[in-house]
Amino acid sequence: MSERDGIGKGHREKEEPFYAGQGRILEMIAASAPLADILTRIVLLMEAQTDGLRCSILLLSNDGKHVRHGAAPNLPEAYVKAVDGLPIGPRVGSCGTSMYLRKQVVTTDVLTDPLWSDYRDLAKSCGLRACWSTPIISSHGDVLGSFAMYRQEPRGPNPEETRLTEAATHIASIAIERQQGHSMLREREARISLAAESADLAFWVLYPEQNTAWMSEKGRAMYGFTPHELLTRESFVSRIHPDEPAAVQAAFEQARASQQTFEIEHRIVLPYGKTRWVITRGRYLWDEHGNVLEIICVTIDLSAQKQSDLQLQVQREELARLSRIALMGEMTASLGHELNQPLAAIANNAAAARRFFDRGQIDPAILKELLADITAASHRAGEVINGIRGMARKGKSTRSRLNLNDVIRDTLRLVRSDILIRETAVVTDFDSLLPDVEAAPVQIQQVLLNLIMNALDAVEALPPAERRIIISTRSLKGKSAEVSVRDFGTGLPADRAEKVFDHFFSTKAEGMGMGLTIARSIVEAHAGTLGAEDAEAGGALFFFHLPAAQRLPINKAA
Amino acid sequence: MRSEKSAESHVVCLVDDDPLVLNSLGNLLASDGIAARCFDKAETFLAHIQVHRVELVVLDIRMVGMTGLEVQAHLSSICCQTRVIIITGSERPDDERNAMQAGAIAFFTKPFDDEQFLAAVHGALAQAKASQELPPEAIVGRPKVP
Repeated sequence: MSERDGIGKGHREKEEPFYAGQGRILEMIAASAPLADILTRIVLLMEAQTDGLRCSILLLSNDGKHVRHGAAPNLPEAYVKAVDGLPIGPRVGSCGTSMYLRKQVVTTDVLTDPLWSDYRDLAKSCGLRACWSTPIISSHGDVLGSFAMYRQEPRGPNPEETRLTEAATHIASIAIERQQGHSMLREREARISLAAESADLAFWVLYPEQNTAWMSEKGRAMYGFTPHELLTRESFVSRIHPDEPAAVQAAFEQARASQQTFEIEHRIVLPYGKTRWVITRGRYLWDEHGNVLEIICVTIDLSAQKQSDLQLQVQREELARLSRIALMGEMTASLGHELNQPLAAIANNAAAARRFFDRGQIDPAILKELLADITAASHRAGEVINGIRGMARKGKSTRSRLNLNDVIRDTLRLVRSDILIRETAVVTDFDSLLPDVEAAPVQIQQVLLNLIMNALDAVEALPPAERRIIISTRSLKGKSAEVSVRDFGTGLPADRAEKVFDHFFSTKAEGMGMGLTIARSIVEAHAGTLGAEDAEAGGALFFFHLPAAQRLPINKAA
Repeated sequence: MRSEKSAESHVVCLVDDDPLVLNSLGNLLASDGIAARCFDKAETFLAHIQVHRVELVVLDIRMVGMTGLEVQAHLSSICCQTRVIIITGSERPDDERNAMQAGAIAFFTKPFDDEQFLAAVHGALAQAKASQELPPEAIVGRPKVP
């Protein structure tokens, strides 16, 4: 501002309006007033400083080759029209030439200056004699347009007029540059919008400093905003599902801190209650001083995908359940035995009590003991029933933190009788440092049952003394837990090891061939793998890995 | 009530590795005036029978270690005259046939009818008393399994 501080010295009475006028123009720029209005105000302000001065602002066209009308409120309309659209060049009056040469061109008399040879009559007819034209240069050094002063008498600019020119070109460059920035931004937004729309994405930009936001049409529809609704940070926050603002906030914060692109899957709730699953990716843009300029985000609507995922999950759960029921059919011995034992105890004790009564020997101590035994047997039967119910239960199975050693122990208890009946030795070799996993217990039990029942089948043809199964667990560097079930049967079908996981592949006459397929899908749904190979000294080895649960609970971490 | 009267009266032995079932069998016999000796392991019963006279043993099939059928086979291999009733919580197709062929006097699937079971026990004891020297086939009169 130091140069312009000098403007108006010796004209104290004009000083105040000039500065006030400049201030008003800057306000207009800040408020994004139309460029034509701003340029007109600049011209009028300059003209007001000196008698007999007329000014104009011309703009350089987007192609950089033509002049465009900017503002010239006090020049004859015919002249303005004639100038609009002229090409810039080395001999195109003062303005076209100054834009072409990127420097001030002072024509003291249009009637004699060769630059004006083509426009002499035009200028003369409009009563213009002198024309001093100065290019308006952007902060990046590009020509944006020109500012011209006209007088009716042939002369050059005095020092005050030179200072006014400097002020005018400076303010005009801010106004034009800013407007171009805006239109570039709008153009960019329009382009991205087009891309986003065709890709079914919502695109949005948040300007944190102004707390305003722009959002593509598709995005507004996705978020339930009306096409012209003014958007702020709060508009977006209001759409986030009540369970998730903290998570979304954290994602933004992390992106800001790490200067990385963030991605978060969350739900948004529309004003009329509809919930959408979306995934939002975004990043922060910074200026050279480290201030956040804007946050650019793309949001994809996952609702349809989620819906089909959920449906798929329901189908998978149901299939797993049916498979469990089929599996229970195979475990007849165990289920029957486990129920028959307590039922027999109940029946025997009840019969004994009745007989003691019949014989008139009612020792209260004996009766109490009989009743206690009946109660204990009933509880045991109840536990068996609960186990069956758990296996057959419909619906979503919830995951919890499990130690696979415990799950294997429970599962072996469940099939104890089948193992006994088949006269098979089951040896366990547990890794005491096995990491916990995050899993649905019923489903993991199902996988184990599948592998154990298959192993029992595999050794059935062997003489009882050789019927052996080894179940072992192993920690894989603490990152995952491995369970393997090894039998000493005939091994996997030759050359078709992977086939055992195919649908409807079964080596058993009564087998549906679904067991291992479902077992594998269960393990994979837990981000694990299930495989099979021939064991070294004969027999088959089935194994699965599950990733270790994320964090140790505090009491275990100590 | 479970056992421990005089050694004389322990002519009936019960072998089942499930304590709930074993106790209930003892109770059932006690309610009918029969003192039985209970074993939760086949091996301890086999040790017992070497030094005691046992008229009747009730054997469960599915036990950890030795099965009831193996115990039965062992008894006949040592020419033991003890009568055998086989009980099981989970019948496999051939269990009953094998047991009866091996000379069992009755076969019951748990849970079973107390009257039929006690009838089989009494029948075995009466026959044992009346005709020690008769071959086992002659005294088979097994009750129908419910």
